[in-house]
Amino acid sequence: MSDAVVTTAAAEERRLSVRLPRRTGAIVAGSLLAVIVLACIFAPLLTSYAPNAIDPSIAFQSPSWAHLFGTDELGRDLFSRVLYGGRITLGAAVGATALSLVLGVAWGFGAALGVPLMDEVLMRTADVAMAIPQILFGLVFIAAFGTDLVNLIVVVGICLSPTSGRLVRSVVLAEREADYVRAAVAFGATRWSIAAKEIFPNTTAHLGVLAAINMANAVLLEASFSFVGLGVQPPRASWGTILQQGYLYIYQAFYYVLFPALAIVVTMLLLNIVARSLQSAPGGRG
Amino acid sequence: MTDAAVMPDESPALAVDRLRIELRSGRRPVPLVHDVSFTLRRGERLALVGESGSGKTITALALMRLLRDPLALAGGSISLGGDTELTRMNEKELARIRGGRVAMIYQDPLTALNPVLRIGHQLVEAIRLHAPLSKAAARTRAIELLGQVGLSEPASRIDAYPHEFSGGMRQRVMIAMALSGDPEVLIADEPTTALDVTTQARILALLDDLVSERGISVLLITHDLGIAAGFCDRVHVMYAGRIVERSDVFSIYANPLHPYSEALLDAVCRLDIDLSHEIPAIPGYPPAPTALPPGCVFNPRCGSRQPVCQMDAPPDVLVGERMAACHFAAERERPVDATPIEVGPR
Repeated sequence: MSDAVVTTAAAEERRLSVRLPRRTGAIVAGSLLAVIVLACIFAPLLTSYAPNAIDPSIAFQSPSWAHLFGTDELGRDLFSRVLYGGRITLGAAVGATALSLVLGVAWGFGAALGVPLMDEVLMRTADVAMAIPQILFGLVFIAAFGTDLVNLIVVVGICLSPTSGRLVRSVVLAEREADYVRAAVAFGATRWSIAAKEIFPNTTAHLGVLAAINMANAVLLEASFSFVGLGVQPPRASWGTILQQGYLYIYQAFYYVLFPALAIVVTMLLLNIVARSLQSAPGGRG
Repeated sequence: MTDAAVMPDESPALAVDRLRIELRSGRRPVPLVHDVSFTLRRGERLALVGESGSGKTITALALMRLLRDPLALAGGSISLGGDTELTRMNEKELARIRGGRVAMIYQDPLTALNPVLRIGHQLVEAIRLHAPLSKAAARTRAIELLGQVGLSEPASRIDAYPHEFSGGMRQRVMIAMALSGDPEVLIADEPTTALDVTTQARILALLDDLVSERGISVLLITHDLGIAAGFCDRVHVMYAGRIVERSDVFSIYANPLHPYSEALLDAVCRLDIDLSHEIPAIPGYPPAPTALPPGCVFNPRCGSRQPVCQMDAPPDVLVGERMAACHFAAERERPVDATPIEVGPR
């Protein structure tokens, strides 16, 4: 009895140790990322300024204890704007990542498991899609459907899906050759039930890595789109729009662009570190 | 195969007629399996024995229509239970047969189980593919099956992952999955090759009990004549994609008709031989399917080769109940002792 308990506990421990990246770098990166996300979510608790509260008397103040990141041309508190802007940027990135994964999984599974013609069509479509500059595609899409947060999420999600589809396809092609898939066929399972019940669970490690990478790229894309005016519209703040506004005053107030830019760079860096360590973790593959 | 239609009750569990398999990758297809025919009677255990590359595994895969590009079925018929022609079925119909009326056990039980899913989950899925059971009922059945294949404490082990099991335990799980659909025919492709000798014996004994209880016909694919002797009723020897000898299990060990069978038997490492001599090996390699020798395919490696062997392909010579594709099969026959050495299940 006690033996069995020990065995199960040991197995449980093994299971966890396989899943968790052991390296401290990953843990630090993950924790910092959590701090950033939590700071954005709990922004009202961390700052007493409303992100859009205008006070021209304190325009262009350098960072101080009263205004950690300084103030902008209308006297808005930049710390508060970066935090609230992070909600939009990160929220949009999460939505776009989710969309890109859904599209990528459909794209990749369809190509890998469909008839050869379907594979050809889907993969050539992906090639063409990747050849179109993302900003250009965003411009056309936003021109057609209008500037809107949902449209921004959709356009970023679509931009990220061809590469996701390619990656998912390669993973599925590799898993498709595995013996357990052959065994499942021999037990009478059909193609799409094997895809859902056998292959998909084996792709989750790769999807985790892909999610982190897509998330990093989504943050960058959101910032790019907002920077050229296709994303969130003023006075709503996102990291990209703050950057865009601050860019006009770069010689007067360098801190105006410094902090949103840092937020983007640091978040992307942390996401990439997390993706990297997920990839090389004993349980992760690829 | 023709008499099968007359007496449906006596129809064979599986009848394979002139099965041909080709490799279609180059400019012209390369035949790998040439007109292989055999009959698996009901409740019988038949061994397909041969070296690597003799075509035994692709034959087994073809029986379940599991060949994939660039391998393709080029002809022949596979008749299941005398009433079902597998070569004319579409994927949907085949899915009902696979794991249902015909089940398969694989060589490597680790890779044949999905590494990220629990044993019970996989077993429940396999059961529910062929029986209209609820998840709970299928789980009960899964625990029952795991108990029958000799897994202790099946109720607590059912939620383990494959990597928590030993090789023997995994093969037991595979057997449980294979039996879950109540198959008529079980194809066991080298089921014990990945296991150590002690486990091998246990798994074979288990398989022996389970298939006799249920009256399942077994086609055992193996390169190990010892296993074939212990487990099977009849042995078919394959060489270069052909069946070169068909025999009952007793006669082939006492009096192999085909020189290849004889060479295979001589090459088996036994405990009762004189160790001062080297164990004889068969010289050379099996021929490449693209460069088959003229005449008898075995002639370049044959110890008793005659001029005719290099000219003409031998016919299938019938000697009593047995068959050998050798020009000299009849001359090679010796009367077999009526009470052969004990080669019952080990």
